[in-house]
Amino acid sequence: MVGRSGLHRIGTNLLKNHSGSSTGLTWQGWRKCSSTIPTTKSAPVAAESKSSTQPPLTHSLPGLPTPVYATSKDKQHFTQVTTLSNGLQVASENRFGQFCTIGVVVDSGSRYEVAYPSGVSHFLEKLAFNSTTEFPDKDKILLELEKHGGICDCQSSRDTFIYASSADRRGMDAVVRVLGEVTLRPQISLKELASAQQALRFELETLYMRPEQEPILMDMIHAAAYRDNTLGLPKICPEANILKIDRSLLFTYLKHHYTPKRMVVTGVGVDHDELLTSVRKYFVDMKPIWEEDTDLVVPTLNMQVDESIAQYTGGIIQEECAIPLYAGMSGLPELAHVVIGLEGYSHQDPDFIPICVLNMMMGGGGSFSAGGPGKGMYTRLYTNVLNRHHWMFSATAYNHAYMDTGLFCIHASSPPANVHEMVEVIVKELVNMAGALGEPELQVSQENMVIIITSVVLNA
Amino acid sequence: MAARLVRLGSAVQNNTSLFKGLCKWQSTAAEAYKHKLINVPPTLVTVLKSGLRVASEDSGAATATVGIWIDAGSRYEDDRNNGVAHFLEHMAFKGTASRSQTDLELEIENMGAHLNAYTSREQTVYYAKCLSEDVSKAVDILADIIQNSKLGEAEIDRERGVILREMQEVESNLQEVVFDHLHSIAFQGTALGRTILGPSEVIKRITRNDLVDYVKTHYKSPRVVLAAAGGVNHSELVKAAEKHFVGLKTTYEGEIPILQPCRFTGSEIRVRDDSMPLAHIAIAVEACGWPDSDNIPLMVANTIIGAWDRSQGGGTNNASRLATAATESNLAHSFQSFNTCYTDTGLWGIYFVCDPLKCEDMLYNVQSEWMRLCTSVTESEVERARNLLKTSMLLQLDGTTPICEDIGRQMLCYNRRIPLHELESRIEKVTAKDVQEVAMKYIYDRCPAVAAVGPVENLPDYNRIRSSMYWLRL
Repeated sequence: MVGRSGLHRIGTNLLKNHSGSSTGLTWQGWRKCSSTIPTTKSAPVAAESKSSTQPPLTHSLPGLPTPVYATSKDKQHFTQVTTLSNGLQVASENRFGQFCTIGVVVDSGSRYEVAYPSGVSHFLEKLAFNSTTEFPDKDKILLELEKHGGICDCQSSRDTFIYASSADRRGMDAVVRVLGEVTLRPQISLKELASAQQALRFELETLYMRPEQEPILMDMIHAAAYRDNTLGLPKICPEANILKIDRSLLFTYLKHHYTPKRMVVTGVGVDHDELLTSVRKYFVDMKPIWEEDTDLVVPTLNMQVDESIAQYTGGIIQEECAIPLYAGMSGLPELAHVVIGLEGYSHQDPDFIPICVLNMMMGGGGSFSAGGPGKGMYTRLYTNVLNRHHWMFSATAYNHAYMDTGLFCIHASSPPANVHEMVEVIVKELVNMAGALGEPELQVSQENMVIIITSVVLNA
Repeated sequence: MAARLVRLGSAVQNNTSLFKGLCKWQSTAAEAYKHKLINVPPTLVTVLKSGLRVASEDSGAATATVGIWIDAGSRYEDDRNNGVAHFLEHMAFKGTASRSQTDLELEIENMGAHLNAYTSREQTVYYAKCLSEDVSKAVDILADIIQNSKLGEAEIDRERGVILREMQEVESNLQEVVFDHLHSIAFQGTALGRTILGPSEVIKRITRNDLVDYVKTHYKSPRVVLAAAGGVNHSELVKAAEKHFVGLKTTYEGEIPILQPCRFTGSEIRVRDDSMPLAHIAIAVEACGWPDSDNIPLMVANTIIGAWDRSQGGGTNNASRLATAATESNLAHSFQSFNTCYTDTGLWGIYFVCDPLKCEDMLYNVQSEWMRLCTSVTESEVERARNLLKTSMLLQLDGTTPICEDIGRQMLCYNRRIPLHELESRIEKVTAKDVQEVAMKYIYDRCPAVAAVGPVENLPDYNRIRSSMYWLRL
C-alpha cells in the first residue's frame, strides 16, 4: 500500500514536469521561477564563503539515523497516585513526546497570609529557582536543566503554588533534584532578596502604567467579596510591604506551608516507579533547610497555617483614578472598569460543573473582533450586551473556583460617561441568569465545555 | 512564450546546482546510518493530483486542529490593493453560496469548534479546532469558505468598519506599530514594506472585484496546504480533501504572479512623541530567507542575545549577558531578539522598550553584544544557546494547534516538515565558529534598519549607529 502510493506520487511528479514543459502554466513552473529570483538576487552573498556547509532547510540532512516513529495506538496511559511515608503525594502519567514535565504543587498562596504581611507569596514567586543548598546560584540551576534541554517556571494563584520544569525524559532525576532543592532548600540570600524587591517594584510600576487593569481588578473584586479574610487578601504585594518582608519571615512561612502533607509532586511523560525513586531521594531523605538550620525561622507565637473557611462578605471597593490611556495614535477611549460578582461554587461542589457551563453561556469578550465563529459569538454577553450597546468596550464572565468557595463575576468596561448604564446592564444579565434558559443555548455551552476540557487536558 | 522559456531554463539551472551541492554534502556525511527512536508520531504527506498538499500528524488525541495554509499574503499586493488579502480573510466568515453567515456560525458553535484565521505578509491561514470525530466536517467548512465565499456587497461595506476598528487595535499595540515601521523602511519601495492591514484609504474603497481578483489569482491548489494535527486519520483527511477542494484551480488564466524580490535598505524612521512614557525601538539587519541553512546559526545567535523583562528579575545571574547589563544598570524595561524570515530575505535584530533617557546606553550595549557575536563569541555560550534553542523549539509544539501551525508553515516554506531529529542534529552541529561566521556575514559592517517610536530624542543619530556596526580593532 505504501509502495503503491509512493509510486503514484512519483508518477504525478513526472506528469507535472511534463505538462510544465508543454504549457508552462503548472504550479511547479511557477514555484521554480519564484525560487530562482532570490538565487540571482543573493548571488553576491553566496559568492562569499558560506558559513554553513549544510544543505538548505528544504532538503534533508544526509547521514541522519532512520527514525522509528511512535504511533497513537502504542499505549494507553493512566494516572498513578502514591502517597509516601511522610504524607507527600506523587501522581504521574506516562505519555507521548520526548519531554517530561514535573511539577511540585503546594497548598500555598495569598489566602494563607493573614498572619503575615501581605505579599509573602508574591515574593516567593519572584524568588523561585534561586540559590539552594546544593546550587550556589540561579545560573547553576539553569545550567543543570539546560544539560537536559530543560526550562523551569513558578506560578502562583491565591491558593496554589506550582514549581514546574520540563526537560528531556532522560533528565528526569536531575529535574526532580532541582525541584526538591528549590522548594525545600532555598537559600534566599540577601542579594537575591534585594533583586526580588527590585523586580517587585518594577512589576508594580508596570502594572499601573498599562491600560489593561485585569490583575488589579481581580485583587479588588476578591477583596470586596471576602473582606479581610482568606481569598480577599491581596495577591499583589502592596508597595509598603516590599521592605517589611525579610528572610526569616519567608522561612517561617515556608516552614509552615511547605510541608509534605500540603505538597503533591506530579509528572507527565515519566515512569511512575522511577519518579518515586527520585522523589524519595530529594523530598523525603533530604530534609528541608529550615529543619537543618532552625535559626532561619522566627520562633514565634501564632504563625500556624490559616485553616479558616473563606467567608463571603460582599461589599464594594471603588478607586477613582486615572487609568493610563493606550499610547500612540490608536484613538481608543479612556475606560472605566467595573467587576460585579456573586458567590459561586467550590471545585468540590456538585454544582461546580453547572456553574462552569453557566460561565460558557455568559461568555463574552471584547466588543471588537470576536475572532470568528466558535469564540462565543452567541454567548449572552455578546448577544444581549455587546451587540446591543455599542458604547460597551468589553464584557467577560469569569468563574473563579477554590477549595471551599467560588466567585462568579462579570468584568465590563466602557467610557466613564456610561458607567451608570453599564452597571444596570450587567446587573440585569446577572439577574436573568436565574431566568429561563433555551435548550440550544445550553447545548452549545456544554459542547464548548467538552472541547475546552479535552484540549486543556491534552495540552497540559 | 519567451518569458516562459527563460523561466524554465533557470529552473533547470537551479536544479543542477542543487544536484552538485547534494553530492558534496553526501561526501562530508561521515556519520553511520542508525535507527533513532522518536517518541512522536510521523508527519504524513500526500500530494493530490491537483497539486494540493495534505500533511498530518496523528497523535490519537480527542481533539484536533485542521487548517488551510495558503501561499498568499500582503506581499502579493500593490499600492492599489494593499490590504485585500486581509480583507478577504475577514470576509471568509460572512457566508458562502450554500451557508449563510448565521448557518456557518451556528454550525461551528454547535460542534463546539473554534474557527480562526490570520494573514501575514506571505501566508493566509484559516483553521479550526474541533473534536477529532468532526475533522471531516471542519474540512468541509474550511473548503467551503475559501472556495465559495459569498463576498456580498453589504457585508463588504460592514466589514470596512470592522477592519478600521481593528487598525485602531493594532495601533494601540506599540510592538506591532514599531515592526510595521521597521518593515516600511527596511523594505521601502517593495511589497514587504507595506502593512498587512493596508492604508485606510484603500480599505475604504476596496471593491468586490478586488477581492474576487485576488482569490482568482492566488488561491490555486498547488499553493494550498491542508494541515492537521491531533486525532486525525491521514487517509480520511486525504479523502475529505479530494472531495471538498475540487473548486480550486491548478492553472492560471491571466498572468502568472511572480514573487518580486524585496530589496533591503539600511535606514531609519523616528516617530518622536514625548508624551509617551517609554521609547520603543527596533533595530535589524538583513538576514536570510526561510530555506537558507544559515538560519540555524542565526537562531543560535538570537538565543545568545535572548529575551528579558525587568519584572522577571534575577538578571544578574541570567544566561544572557545583555539581560545582566540591562538589570545591573537599569537600562530597559524589556527586550527581545528576533529573526523574522520571508521567502528570500529576512530581518535579524532586537526590539526593546526603555526609559526616555536610556535609549543610547541600551543601544550601546546591544551593539557591543552584536560585535562580540561577530568576533569573540565563546564555545560555552554557544553550547548553552544550542540547548536552549532545542528546548524552546521542541517545547513550543505543545498542543494540536501549535503542531498544526508548524506543519502548515513548514510545508509552505520548505515543502516538507523537517523531522525533529534532523532539526536537533542541525542545531547540535552549530559551533562558535559558525555563529561568528554568520554574524560576520549578516551583522558586521552592515547598514541596519532602525525604527523608533516614543520619546526617542536620546537615540544616537543614524551615522553613529552605523559606525557601531564595526570595530576599528579586532
